[in-house]
Amino acid sequence: MSPVGPINQQPDSDEHIAIGDRRHGLGTGLVSGMAPVAVLVTLALAISAFAPSFLSAYSLRVLAEESSVILLLAIGQTIVIIVGGIDLSMAALASLASVIIALLLPELGAGAVLGALCIATLIGALQGFVHVQAKIPSFIVTLAGLGMWSGIALSIANTTVPVAEHFEAVGWLDAQTWGVPHAFAFGMLTLGLFQIALVRLRLGRYLYAIGMAERVALLSGIRVWRIKTFAFAASGFCSGLAGLAMVARTSSGSPTIADSLLLPSIAAVLVGGTAITGGHGNLARTLLGVCIVAVMRVGVAVSGIAPAYEPIAYGALVVIAVAMTVDRRSIGIVK
Amino acid sequence: MSVAALRVEGLCKRFGDTYALRGVTLEVRPREVVGLVGENGAGKSTLLKLLAGVTRPDGGTMMVRGSAVRWRKVRDAADAGIGIMFQESSLVPDITVAENVLLAHEGSAVRLGIYRWHELFARAKALLVKLGMTISPGADAHTLSFSERQLVEFAKALAVETRTCDAPILLLDEPTSALDERGVATVLQTIEELRTHASVVLVSHRLEEVRRVCDRIYVMKDGSCVGERDARTCTVEALQRLMIGHETGTDFPREAVRSQLAETVCLEVRQLSRRDKYVDVSLALRHGEVLGIAGATGSGCEELCRTLFGIVPPDSGTMLLDGRTVALRGPSDAVAQGIGYVPADRPREGIIGAMSVTENMTLAHLAQFCGRWGIDRRREREVAERWIERLRIVTPCATTRASDLSGGNQQKVALAKWLVGKPPRVLILDHPLRALDVVARRDILKTIRELACDGAGIVVVADALDELLAVSDTLIVMRDGRISARYSIAQDRPTRQTILEKMI
Repeated sequence: MSPVGPINQQPDSDEHIAIGDRRHGLGTGLVSGMAPVAVLVTLALAISAFAPSFLSAYSLRVLAEESSVILLLAIGQTIVIIVGGIDLSMAALASLASVIIALLLPELGAGAVLGALCIATLIGALQGFVHVQAKIPSFIVTLAGLGMWSGIALSIANTTVPVAEHFEAVGWLDAQTWGVPHAFAFGMLTLGLFQIALVRLRLGRYLYAIGMAERVALLSGIRVWRIKTFAFAASGFCSGLAGLAMVARTSSGSPTIADSLLLPSIAAVLVGGTAITGGHGNLARTLLGVCIVAVMRVGVAVSGIAPAYEPIAYGALVVIAVAMTVDRRSIGIVK
Repeated sequence: MSVAALRVEGLCKRFGDTYALRGVTLEVRPREVVGLVGENGAGKSTLLKLLAGVTRPDGGTMMVRGSAVRWRKVRDAADAGIGIMFQESSLVPDITVAENVLLAHEGSAVRLGIYRWHELFARAKALLVKLGMTISPGADAHTLSFSERQLVEFAKALAVETRTCDAPILLLDEPTSALDERGVATVLQTIEELRTHASVVLVSHRLEEVRRVCDRIYVMKDGSCVGERDARTCTVEALQRLMIGHETGTDFPREAVRSQLAETVCLEVRQLSRRDKYVDVSLALRHGEVLGIAGATGSGCEELCRTLFGIVPPDSGTMLLDGRTVALRGPSDAVAQGIGYVPADRPREGIIGAMSVTENMTLAHLAQFCGRWGIDRRREREVAERWIERLRIVTPCATTRASDLSGGNQQKVALAKWLVGKPPRVLILDHPLRALDVVARRDILKTIRELACDGAGIVVVADALDELLAVSDTLIVMRDGRISARYSIAQDRPTRQTILEKMI
């Protein structure tokens, strides 16, 4: 018989144990800690070195104004991602909401805003319901939604719809108090309320439980389909708010007004450290992520790169953020 | 003596902090059929998976035909002529039988990445005929019945013969569990034929069958080989005694057996059936009664539990709670009715590893911890700490992540989930003691008895008879989806032997 060495002396099995111990892939430790803060500070310092006026009150105000729509979209996206899904239809739904608001404002005034928010919430809930009941992955349902809602928006308004009357029903969002843009304050208020719900309410606990381990949640008697439907209704609602903020800023609604904001809003959620696999993250992280994305946009502008190249940065950001937060041990098979 | 076809020494395999195999040594000689028997969880399937390269060992050596081997993947083992038939179905449902049978063994039936269907079908057909099967190799796998699928699995394992010129080694994990008598006869006869040129390792719960077809039998218990017997001279009873072991009975001192139980029935099912799982099950559970259900894998007792908790609906039959008919549309209905369920698959179904001990405990009764301002975390924590103390859960604190606890303590957390709220009316425990150490077992058994004394009806499913005998008032034995025996522990005093005979 040939001589034989025990199997466990070979290096490979040590490596195996090491992977098992490394609980969250290569960098949750990094990302979940202070990494997003460090990224933000570094970016801000780097930009202000190039353009010292960057940290002035005026430019910060513009920054806040600019990022309020992304903030609203990212809030809804965070809820959906925590529960383990993703909503690709948010920007399209926001555009649709902007069109509805712009078309109905002259006749209904503030009623148009309420109506658009209700429609957006219902559409979100419908997507969630289809996702849960038909057991279709959420990215498929919302990808289909993306097509449908922008198609509907285009079919009811071929082009930009200027707001002629009753602008005051949305105009308050475009004003500012003590230098704080209302749209941004409104976004922060929304974020605060949702964060409280995540931390204090049963609903919040259930969202996390489902995102972490849906089967355990189900077998603990949680009505998973309801909670998931709620999460998508919440993202629909946030899409409606984003549409509203868009109308306030541009005094018009347009079927493509928010389309370019889908990728940056998802990038904001993920770069903040919320895990794409669900169950981990919160809205404070999302706020941080929104700031990073906003500062990056300024950085692109300051460095003289054409804004058309911005999406390249968002794309890279998404991939890097997910690579750093994903728990490789628990996934195994990736589709 | 000739070199062994297959020899393993000191083989170890660990899952987390529990050992599935602790130093197994055995050998299979050329043209020999070796039986591998033992209770569930003894490590038989794990051993086969190591031999076939599905998982890698944590220690020990494997030798095939005298030379040391270390499989990196299943293909390496297949190249060496090792074929495995899995206990669980490994067929791809949406492709043909022929493709399934020759999956990864296509050989010359694939040229330039393109199937040559004639050759593929002809070769698959030859293997199927060997097993007495008449199904067309072109049939889609998902159209087959459960037992047909099992025979196709066997054919798939046989296909390894076409890969190598060495004598093949076939590992068969419960090849006959889903077959009727004719199917069993065919499989056993095929094994006889294999003996002329191949070595076979046969895992089966059907001891009589193992004794008939094998040359030697290894008995496994708790991850090691506890005995090697000559199949011609040993008896089924001797094998059973070895499987169970003598010393384990003393682990669970039985508290005073209560012969008197409440007369009121809390849970009753009548003629419950679910296709391919269990048939015509009727039982009544009284308040304060611990009902044990004994059954091997595939006996349907686990599915029955899942039905009682509303996870899978029955095809027919009725279920009554405190005399009222209930139709559970999901686990949430069951929880609302006061039914609790501790699943066997703890990491995937029982607890959320990333959540704290407290959050895991309160997950099913969170409404009771909510005040006007949402979750009352202080009360939540106080209640959790009370149960940590009462169940003697070893944890640094109540906010420790559940995954940082040992298996036994995790199981206690999974149990506490149903105790922190209103006491459950019915508690269903699926293999609550699997892979736990003695102290944890004792604590959990004690808790189960206490709950019963408080009036809850409790259903315990397990395959370890010692535990069932220690905790149950009534014992039901299931085999092939039917109830094969009922015992009152106090009056009938069944022995392990008699129960085991009804199980397998």
